[in-house]
Amino acid sequence: MNDERELVINPVVQTSVQHNSQVVSNIRNLTASLFGVAAGTLGLESYPGFAFYLIGTLIVSALIFLVRAEGKPSEYFHRPLGDLWGGEVVGGLSSFVLTWTLFYGLVRA
Amino acid sequence: MAQPVVQTIHRDPALFWWILLPITVVMILTGVLRHYAMTLLQTTPKKQVLPQIRQHRSLLRGVNLRQNANVLSPSSFQARKAYMVSAFQEGKFLADPEGRGKPRPNPMSDPAAMEGMMGMMKGNMAMMVPQTLIMGWINAFFSGFVIMKLPFPLTPQFKSMLQSGVGTRDLDVRWVSSLSWYFLTLFGLQPVYNFILGSNNAASQVAQQMGQVNPAAGMMGPEQDPDKLFQSEAENLEVLEHWWVLEGVEDRLLAKMAS
Repeated sequence: MNDERELVINPVVQTSVQHNSQVVSNIRNLTASLFGVAAGTLGLESYPGFAFYLIGTLIVSALIFLVRAEGKPSEYFHRPLGDLWGGEVVGGLSSFVLTWTLFYGLVRA
Repeated sequence: MAQPVVQTIHRDPALFWWILLPITVVMILTGVLRHYAMTLLQTTPKKQVLPQIRQHRSLLRGVNLRQNANVLSPSSFQARKAYMVSAFQEGKFLADPEGRGKPRPNPMSDPAAMEGMMGMMKGNMAMMVPQTLIMGWINAFFSGFVIMKLPFPLTPQFKSMLQSGVGTRDLDVRWVSSLSWYFLTLFGLQPVYNFILGSNNAASQVAQQMGQVNPAAGMMGPEQDPDKLFQSEAENLEVLEHWWVLEGVEDRLLAKMAS
């Protein structure tokens, strides 16, 4: 009951939430492809490649946190942990694998 | 344990121009084509007769009253509730008041239901047909040789699928034929479609699957009895615990100003 009252007094607008998550998803997809290019050019294989992706997404999350959310993610996200730090990490993985494979195949193998 | 010998295969650089690039381009163009096909295939909503619309909208009105009850003062909420509940229970808004309590007709014989199923069928077709065609095309033209090496190892179960047509038993699973590039593009081109077609495009598979779960029929699906919906909505309104958002607003304002 208390939560509900809080939500009515400070409403969460669905459109803004969607827009914010769309921005995060766009950034993630673009950077995932670029990380794939980098990993393929560096010739990373199996686990180092995936670790590269995870470290890269962490850096991107930190950049979103500092630059786009100005250090105050709770103003932009309903659940800052899930939406900013963990949002779309798995979704970007497929495009990472795509460009990784492509550039690995072009440069190395 | 000795390290296994790293297998190297020298491949013609022309493989890139003649296989990888064409498959990628075809996949992107198929996504764009599917987007426009879906946009064109979408049927415009049929024009409904007045009692139907009235029935639908008054049910929505009850739902809206229940969801936004907090912004109403207690007296006005009580007045609205009393009116809506009595009207719902009497079935004032029903499209055919004589049909109350009769069993619903078979949804397969209802033309409106057939419409919804046709929409779902079209969505499935627009997904399935291009995929089958492209897989057939790749199998017909590009099977039988290895084109690239994956940067990560896979389990041998994938061998039969990804190296189909390559007749070497001991080849590392990381060497794959063109079909695996097809799968990679199938799953990895999602963001490309997003950037080309805008975020809410019809090419994306996730949206496709969501559309199948929740077809356009909506809450007034033809298989539901409108009278039952009205009765349950009246019950929901009856048991709603009402509170007013402006209650104690002075204290909140003062607390906000003081802090």
